[in-house]
Amino acid sequence: MLEIDGVHVAYGGLRALDGVSIKVGAGDFVSIVGPNGAGKTTLFKTISGVVSPSKGRILLNGKDLTSVPAAERPHLGIAHVPEGRQVFPNLTVLENLEMGAWTEAGRRDWVANLAYIEKLFPVLQERRRQLAGTLSGGQQQMVAIGRGLASSPRLLMLDEPSMGLAPTIVDQIFEAIAEIRRDKRITILLVEQRAVEALQSCDRGYVLETGRVVLEGTHDALLSDDRIRKAYLGM
Amino acid sequence: MSPFLIGLENFLQALTAGLLLGGIYGLMCVGLGIIFGVMRVINFGQGDLMMLGMYVSFYLFGTLGLGSLLGADAGSIAAALITGPVMFVFGVLLHRFLISRVTGVRVASLEGEGHYAQLILTLGVALILSNGGLILFGSTPVSIKTSLSSSAWELGPLVGQDVSIFLNKARGIALLVSLAVAIGLYLFITRARVGKSLRAAADNPEAATYMGIDVDKAHRFAFGIGTAVTAVAGGLVATYYPFQPYVGIEFVIVMYAGVVLGGLGSIIGAFWGGMIIGLVQQLATLVLPVQLQNTAIFVVFLLIVFLRPQGLFGVNVTRA
Amino acid sequence: MVNDAAAAARLQRPSGSGWLVPLVVLSVVYLVLVGTVTNQYYQLTLTLVPVWATFGISWNILSGYSGLVSFGHAAFFGLGAYTLTMLFVLFGVTPWLGLPAAALAGAVAGLVIGYPTFRLRGHYFALSMLAYPLAMLYVFEWLGLQEVSLPMKRENPMAYMQFPNENRVYSLIALAMMVMALLISLRIERSRFGMSLLAIKQNEIAAEAAGIDTFRWKLKAIVLSGMIAGAIGGFYAVVLLVVTPASVFGMLTSAQPLIFSLFGGVGAAWGPVIGAAVLHPLTEILHSELGDKLPGIQGVVLGMAIVYIILAAPEGIFWRVKDRFRGYSVGRRIAETALGLTLLLLLFASLHLVPLLWSAPNPKAFLALAPVPLFALLHWRFLSAPPSSAMLPAVAAGPAATDASPPPAMPERKAPPPGAPVMLEVKDLSKSFGGLRAVQSVGFTVRQGDILGIIGPNGAGKTTLFNLLNGIISADAGSVRYHGEEIRGLPANAVCRLGIGRTFQVVRPFPRLSVLENVVVGAYVATPSDDDAYELAIEALERVGMAGDAHLLAGGLTTKQLRLLELARALAGKPKLLLLDETLAGLGADAVEEMLGVIRKLAADGTTIVIIEHTMHAMVRLADRFLVLDHGAVLAEGKPEEVTRQPQVIEAYLGKKWSAYARN
Repeated sequence: MLEIDGVHVAYGGLRALDGVSIKVGAGDFVSIVGPNGAGKTTLFKTISGVVSPSKGRILLNGKDLTSVPAAERPHLGIAHVPEGRQVFPNLTVLENLEMGAWTEAGRRDWVANLAYIEKLFPVLQERRRQLAGTLSGGQQQMVAIGRGLASSPRLLMLDEPSMGLAPTIVDQIFEAIAEIRRDKRITILLVEQRAVEALQSCDRGYVLETGRVVLEGTHDALLSDDRIRKAYLGM
Repeated sequence: MSPFLIGLENFLQALTAGLLLGGIYGLMCVGLGIIFGVMRVINFGQGDLMMLGMYVSFYLFGTLGLGSLLGADAGSIAAALITGPVMFVFGVLLHRFLISRVTGVRVASLEGEGHYAQLILTLGVALILSNGGLILFGSTPVSIKTSLSSSAWELGPLVGQDVSIFLNKARGIALLVSLAVAIGLYLFITRARVGKSLRAAADNPEAATYMGIDVDKAHRFAFGIGTAVTAVAGGLVATYYPFQPYVGIEFVIVMYAGVVLGGLGSIIGAFWGGMIIGLVQQLATLVLPVQLQNTAIFVVFLLIVFLRPQGLFGVNVTRA
Repeated sequence: MVNDAAAAARLQRPSGSGWLVPLVVLSVVYLVLVGTVTNQYYQLTLTLVPVWATFGISWNILSGYSGLVSFGHAAFFGLGAYTLTMLFVLFGVTPWLGLPAAALAGAVAGLVIGYPTFRLRGHYFALSMLAYPLAMLYVFEWLGLQEVSLPMKRENPMAYMQFPNENRVYSLIALAMMVMALLISLRIERSRFGMSLLAIKQNEIAAEAAGIDTFRWKLKAIVLSGMIAGAIGGFYAVVLLVVTPASVFGMLTSAQPLIFSLFGGVGAAWGPVIGAAVLHPLTEILHSELGDKLPGIQGVVLGMAIVYIILAAPEGIFWRVKDRFRGYSVGRRIAETALGLTLLLLLFASLHLVPLLWSAPNPKAFLALAPVPLFALLHWRFLSAPPSSAMLPAVAAGPAATDASPPPAMPERKAPPPGAPVMLEVKDLSKSFGGLRAVQSVGFTVRQGDILGIIGPNGAGKTTLFNLLNGIISADAGSVRYHGEEIRGLPANAVCRLGIGRTFQVVRPFPRLSVLENVVVGAYVATPSDDDAYELAIEALERVGMAGDAHLLAGGLTTKQLRLLELARALAGKPKLLLLDETLAGLGADAVEEMLGVIRKLAADGTTIVIIEHTMHAMVRLADRFLVLDHGAVLAEGKPEEVTRQPQVIEAYLGKKWSAYARN
């Protein structure tokens, strides 16, 4: 479904991605893990078009995305849940979700999607009218994921949903992701620093280090590979 | 009449005048507030766009015959309202060909150069509009003449026999229309999908892009709406206030004061900011010489900026 | 070799004489024009060119250099004009004395306005500056000073700066004032003063952390700027013989210096001069030729000119021409400049032909279009974008780029003994943002000679901790003792003066300045002498192995060079303790090795180092000890090889179930 083919990205003389190739089949759950600064977020931004690659191609269902402007890509079924949540702070929770449903598909499925999102995260229903900027970090993450789901995506991209959250909240978020996976059968691409949480529920994983894929494989293979720990902790 | 009653009457009269003026100022400020709120652009041309709106209204009323078609009173209001769509198109074109060259997602995040560029570009647009207006429209002040501007409603007597206030009809109607437009706009940005997308684009342009919202398009739309709203306010002012092509500069200051008072970035706040400016301006005449009523605005403005920089209704303007 | 590099670098220090030739040429051209123009109106136009240029220079000193845009410079200009006028009218004080008084009034106004207004930033600063002149405008109207004329002195007029028979003297005085202002501005530009303002423009927080007292410099700038604006405002009154509140306090008056500076080149001393020399004659000629047929044409053309410049060369004429001239020989530069001036004067002259458009149709009417090809020629020759290679020189083209040099060997260095004196002692440091506890009761000690690595997952609070340590943000609780002395609560520039240097994750150099000039900003904190500061900067560049690149423009550097530059900038202030924030981020493997060598060498030379870093492979080899943060609190502390094996650290990085998986 999604094919990233030898993508290079450099900004301001800084080489963020150095020939990354990743394949994601329809319905797959693929995790990309790696320490901070490995280029995970840049990879996501390249897929959603906010950053342009200097070399390489990104294909979605065989279609080259290079010339598709960023704002068009969600309409092709890509939902990007960005790092640091990035909710609309001065919009209410409900309005945030509505903005997620800006795509044609999202508008069509709005009622069903909203019901699903609020079933997944009941707290969002309680806080419908609250400004998103006043929510706690965990709740904002739920809004961000909900906003992604509201677009009825075929590919859901989650960028470090655990960042800055307390451990119990992180568990809750990952459980929700697993639930989405069970219920929706959509393709999920997850970027995480926390390798275990990310890898244990995925079909396949990639380990990114300083802009390169250094390991790839099924989750069992990766989880038992001590090289991951080395990648993170250096020794 | 006792001195107290005279004082009371003066106060009530100034209050009424302030509310009437403030309502119109509020509408102007909302126009500017949308543009600033969504695009983070300081548009120096806003006053001159309003001037253009006044002339559009003037010609719709006179040359194009709305005045004779609908009668002077209804015609003047219709002219002001039709000015909105006309100036919307103008604003969209202005954004498409000039403003978008120095604003937008990329520029908004840049300090320094991008900042200078939009300042001087809108200053240039302001100069072209006001001086071009002089060439096109001449320097003789004109106004839209209706019977309303020279007649008034008398409210009262409110206390005793003598205390009553006079409400200029043209200003009264202008207030009502501007309230209606402001409420309409409020409903649009809080209820309509497109209106909400404008606020989303303002709040976090990058996240808006991830939603599939075309932020540049949103900016264009906001610029058009902001232009249209201020122009409608101009059309309403034109029914009681003689104007010439340099009139913009008188109002752009008021607009900026109002928008900052209400809180940079808050569209609703902008209306109340404008209202406060109107009230301060009129109430100041009770205690200060008439010439200093504008100084009072600036003093209040500076006080607010120093004591409560986020404005009275402000959301935090610095996007982290 | 190092000495050669240092000598080469020294040559790069701006000698401060590049202005002489252009200034003489410009003055001669001006004086020739003043001598030849006889039309009274154009004489006045000529006189006002240096007046507006001076006003522009005044604006540029504050706003161009420091980046704080002032919309209200008319406040200083108008106060100067009224000070001189009222002293003359009421007390008979001659304008010769009135001018210094006007300058003083402007300076005082700068102080009074600057003091409260510098608390504001960005749009708020710009918009509140707008309020001052407008408030004054109405006050002066209220005072009954709508129109005040300077009295004519028939006896001994020269004593009162009046020259009834020879108006051109005003042009000479205006030129003299402009030259003075320009020299002041040029002197500021490359001195400690100008460089500090530039640092503020680039990144105010980083400037503070480099020991620059930003508030004091800004205040100095606005006082000086107000002084020049006040003086030239006073002179404006002398030339026009009458002042009105609208003409000196009005919004257009505030806009003039801004437009001229931005058009001519913002942040360059010459910018306002170029802007005024092009735009003022242009609009005045149009006004006099076409004003009766097209009232307001001058405003339209002025507007179009500034819209044009934003679209064609948004940084202004000066910078664009400078980029185009880069690489030209001296002779070619002179020839090009002469060509440009000639074309410009021809363009002005050709504007007189435009009224032919209104004449009866005849072949001569085509001459009215003469300005068009002249303008096109000027645009193509000087203002169209230069080929990109002429912009900032690529690093590869520069000689002795350090990329080619082999990485230095890791210097020998031992961790300090446990008994080494304590340098920094942090206890119970806490900071919350809203509900988020970014740093919670963090405590640790740094001993002299340590390399302490601070690690932890994203969002653990590492950079916040740095910001607390060097005073960029203030802590809610706890203490930070440096050599036993409490430094919590000190402003960042004071912390830097005590000897704590700091680098930032995002390096924002001054792209148009050389590496050396970029580094010297960091040296000011260590010495009151600018010459010594350059010595320190060169020394710092040698320490990071970049002395050979000292002359390169920072705009063309690689990431590695930028990081070294940033490191050198922090070192130039002679810090005893260095806080390094992600100095290795984004570097390739070789560059990381080189950077590690440099940092180790610094430590071996006696600088104590605290470093935040994600690149763990490098960190485990660099740091003596690790401090691991997670969720704002200390998770572990100790030797790298011990800390990286602790389960809670592994879990913080890899997820809490890692150990369970790893065991299977």
